[in-house]
This record gives sequence, structure tokens and C-alpha cells, in this order.
Amino acid sequence: MSLARPAKCLFCSFSRAASAVGPRVPRRQFHPTPTYLNDRKPDLPNAKLEDIKTPRDQKPNTPEQQAPKQNKAANEAGEVAVDANAQAPVDTNVQPEEKKTLEEIVRNLKPENFQPYTAEQKAHLAKVYTPEQIAAIEAGEASIDPKDMAEQFGVRRDPMKLLYVDDFSVVEPGVDKHIRAPESNSEYNPQLKTEEDFAADFGRFFAEMPENGSVGDWVRFVETLRVTKGKEEAELNPHSAMVPDLFGPGENLSGQKQQQEMKETEEKGKESEEMTDALKRLLQDTGFDAMEIRTLRTKTLVAHSVVNQTRLGKVRRQYCLSIAGNGDGLLGIGEAKSEEAPDAALQSKYRAIRNMQPILRYEKRTIFGDVVGKVGAVELKLMNRAPGFGLRCQHLIFEMCRAAGIHDLAARVDRSRNPMNTVKAAYEALMSQRNPEDIARARGKKLVDVRKVYYSGRITN
Amino acid sequence: MSLVHLAHVCSHLNNATKARLGLTSIPNTKLHLSLLLALQNDGFVSSVVRGGKTPPPPHLLLGTPAVNDPVQELEPVTQKNIASRRLWLGLKYWQSESVLGKMVPISKPTRRINLDLRALRRVVNGEMSDYVEGIRSPGESLYLSTDRGIMEARECVEKKVGGLVLCRVL
Repeated sequence: MSLARPAKCLFCSFSRAASAVGPRVPRRQFHPTPTYLNDRKPDLPNAKLEDIKTPRDQKPNTPEQQAPKQNKAANEAGEVAVDANAQAPVDTNVQPEEKKTLEEIVRNLKPENFQPYTAEQKAHLAKVYTPEQIAAIEAGEASIDPKDMAEQFGVRRDPMKLLYVDDFSVVEPGVDKHIRAPESNSEYNPQLKTEEDFAADFGRFFAEMPENGSVGDWVRFVETLRVTKGKEEAELNPHSAMVPDLFGPGENLSGQKQQQEMKETEEKGKESEEMTDALKRLLQDTGFDAMEIRTLRTKTLVAHSVVNQTRLGKVRRQYCLSIAGNGDGLLGIGEAKSEEAPDAALQSKYRAIRNMQPILRYEKRTIFGDVVGKVGAVELKLMNRAPGFGLRCQHLIFEMCRAAGIHDLAARVDRSRNPMNTVKAAYEALMSQRNPEDIARARGKKLVDVRKVYYSGRITN
Repeated sequence: MSLVHLAHVCSHLNNATKARLGLTSIPNTKLHLSLLLALQNDGFVSSVVRGGKTPPPPHLLLGTPAVNDPVQELEPVTQKNIASRRLWLGLKYWQSESVLGKMVPISKPTRRINLDLRALRRVVNGEMSDYVEGIRSPGESLYLSTDRGIMEARECVEKKVGGLVLCRVL
């Protein structure tokens, strides 16, 4: 929570817009020392502020010295009533006072400080809220005695306090979970409709069908026809023990952008590729839809013809090795042979998509540690590098890293440089990374990423 | 300090973890004992117990011999039996992988490598120094023999001491 917030708006926190005071997303706090908060106890708790003041701060004439004291209540009331949004005019005769800590404000609160809204503030509220909301706010404020407020007002320090600023007015995917169907939607003894029930439904449909009934009526009836008896919502919107998804379809943290992109790619893709049996099978096996398959990065890296010597002669076929990745941590390789070159390429691409597996990435840009791979006579070593280093490696490994979403990497291919075995060895090396979490768990030791601690967890991983 | 024996211990432990043994033994020397205690402290081995030619009786619950076993006490080390003592090690496995990945001796009897603090800092930062490769993978450790005992490289940097590089553990 923000400590810069005045007291009153704690009770109508939904009214504030999100401010840039603090981070909006809850974040693990890595640093052992707590953030410095400006609400420490004063050094001399019993002394009054005026007494502590240095002689230089004190004004020579007494009337002015008295003035802040008299205006103190009014000033505080002004300060307290100022909402973050509603910039109520501060009384002009109130002199600029020394800054107060939150602790001081809380300690010195009096019932007079909680004044009802002025006409001006109400006018400002009317710009933001509907009359019903204003009525609710006023009713809420009237229901609490100012004396209780002054006595019981405090700042939340409990473990359940919010560590971020939020105006609770919008559902933010990622932070807020979607609303799940209420438990009352479940039906404990669900029963399927019998054939007689269905017959009755059909009878009702035909009886109520208008004179010139169309196909649309029939489709509507079939779509709304229920299969079970009992509660309607139990069938249409059942309660589930599963946590709802963070994102709805086409929804992302930044809003609606993705949907438009999706539509564009869909229109483009429809023309380019038609649905073949192989593609249908691929969709079934992988669970991707056609649009997702199209957004994957696939590339044929190795292609040459191979010959099988039989007693009837040489049988020539095309060999292809392809990679597929989603640019965000998934990578797979696939091989295929076929008499036709395009067929081999397509088959190998589909196999690569099928073989896609998650690859460990450090900070979503490089690999964990240095890894080695060996296939045949190809021995290679992949080395992690600092941010901004780029992909300084040969083209085959470069393409693999691009498909997998690795941005900083160095590689060295020793001994043989056979393209096919290089790709396989690089894949083997990428898959052989060790997860620090597993290492820590195996040894029973705590491993700490110093980079994350240094940047207070601000590095995405 | 016999680096020949240390190299034998390294390859013996590599063989033992590849064979997925739960318990193995190495010759009892002061160097081996302190290195293995450092490894145990870092979680690479589960137990280090001094026993005879045959393994000491296993702990009732742990399954491997333990030092402070109240039920079956260890045979005390005397002048008579000290020559026949061996160190019995409990090896650890996690998700069908050995926790002690691979031990590689670095100093050889014919080429002992001493690292001072400056060189050690470079090694800990992942750079090569004095023919010693940097520590570049997660969970990689380098053990040094210093005048304050056998320590991990990072601990040496923390305490600002250099020493003889013994072995690297992946």
C-alpha cells in the first residue's frame, strides 16, 4: 500500500485510479532488509514539534508561531480530506506546514478531522461516480462515527496486507483470477433424460413451431436442447474444482492487441495452406490449432538425397532434417525421407513439431552453464553469455537458437562439422542442461541467483 | 598429501556413481577425510564414516552407516586397528541421477597448481586462470587445500585465502 495516501481514501480505495507509486504486480522481495519506510517513531516521543525546532526555524514574532497551532486541525482536515483524485482546494490561509510522517498523522487524528464532503468535493465526485455510487459512499461514511475513526484508524501491518497498489476496478489477468461458477451450480444427482423426455421435447418443438418454420428454428432447438434433467446451470455452466485459466481466449496482459493480430494471421493463413490429412493428424496429436501451427518457426536445415543400393538398382530418396520452435522455449527436430523432395520437407517439419520439447533458458535469453554434445564425430560446446552478446555461432546452431528463443550464446564445434550431426549434437547439448532448482533439491542446499538479488527480482525468468 | 591417491579416489567415486552404488569405501587419510567432509557439507555425499575392512552396520532408519548411531556404536580407532581403517561413504542419487556428478582431479603429482586470491577470483567469475578453467555451470564446485583446511573456491574468495587446487566436482 502506498504510504503517500491520505487517510480518508483508505475507505474508498476503489475510487482511486492506479497510480505509479509502486509496482502493481506482487513481487517476491529478495532483499533481506525491509524497504525503508518513512513512518518511524520520532526520536523524542514526548516533545512537541515546536519545542524540537531549531531556533533558526522559529519565527521571531509570536502571533505567527501560534498560527500553525490553531490551523493545525483545519490543515490536517484539509490534508486528510484531499483525495488522490479529487484535488480539493486547500484552504488558502493554511500555511505550508512541515512534512508529517504517517505515524504522526495516525497518532494525532481527532474526530474533527473527519468532516463530511464539501459541496466542491461532491461536485468533483459527481464527475466520476453515478448518483447511486455517491449515495453509497455517503451512506458508508455516515454510518461510521468520526470519533471511532479517530480512535481506531490505523495502517495495515498484518501479513495479509497488499504489497502493491491496485484500484480493484478492473480484472487484471495474471494478478486476478477469473470468476469461477458458484458451487451452487453443481447437481449432485445428475440424471440423463430418457427417450420419453426427448420425445416430449421434440413434440413440444413441433407443436410450438411457427407456420413457416425454417432450418434456423431447428438449429436453435438442437443447440439449446438439454441432455440432463434438473438444474439448467449444472449442465451449461458447471462448477469446477479446477482453477480457472489466467487468460481467456485472445486475452493478454496488454489488452486486446493479440486478438487483432490473430485475425490478421488467420486471414493470411487461410489462403496459403489447405487442410490435409497429415496436418489434421498433426493437429490431433499435438493439440495445437492450425493458426498456432502456422505461427511456429520451422525450417529445413539439412537436405540431401540418399541412395539405397538394392539388387534391382539404386533407389534414390530425398532426406530432410527440420527444426521447429515457438520462439519461446520449445524446440524439436524431425527427420524424414521420401521420393519427393517437398514431401520429405513437409514430413520432417511435422515430425519436428511433434517432437517439440521445452528447453531450459536462463532469463529467457541464454542457457544454464556450458553444455557439451557429441553425436558421431561432431563434438560441440555451447556457452552461455551476457545480455546483448547475441548469437555468435555457426548458422545451424543460430537457426536452432532462434527457433527456441535463445538470444545470447556462443558455440564451438570441434572435430567434424557434419551438418546433420551438428544439429543433433546441439539439440542433445541444449537438452542436457541442468536445472539449478533440481541441483539445489538434490544437494539439500539453497542456491541463490545473485543477478536476481542484485536487481531485486526485476529480471524476468 | 598424496595426489596419486586423490586421483584414484576421484576415479573410484566416478565409477561407483556410474554403477549406482549406495555405499563405497576409500582409503583413510587425513586429506581424503577432510575433502569428503567438505563434500558432505555441500550435500554431495550423505555420510562419511570411518570403519574397518567391512562396512560398519547400517543405521536403523537411514539405511547407511551413521557416525552418531546410538544403537550400534562404531569400533573405536586404536593404534592397533588404525592401519586397517577405511572411509565408508554413502552416495546420493536424485531423480535417477547421481548427485555427485563427476570428480576431476586438477593438480597432478607432477604439476601442482596453486591459485592465489587474484587468480581464484577470476576462476570464480568464470574465467580461465593458471590453467584452471573457470566455474561456469550451475552447481559446479572447485575444492582447494588451504592453510585453513579444505574449502570450496567461493568460500576461499570469501575468506581471502588461496591454495592448492585439488579437484573439480560437477
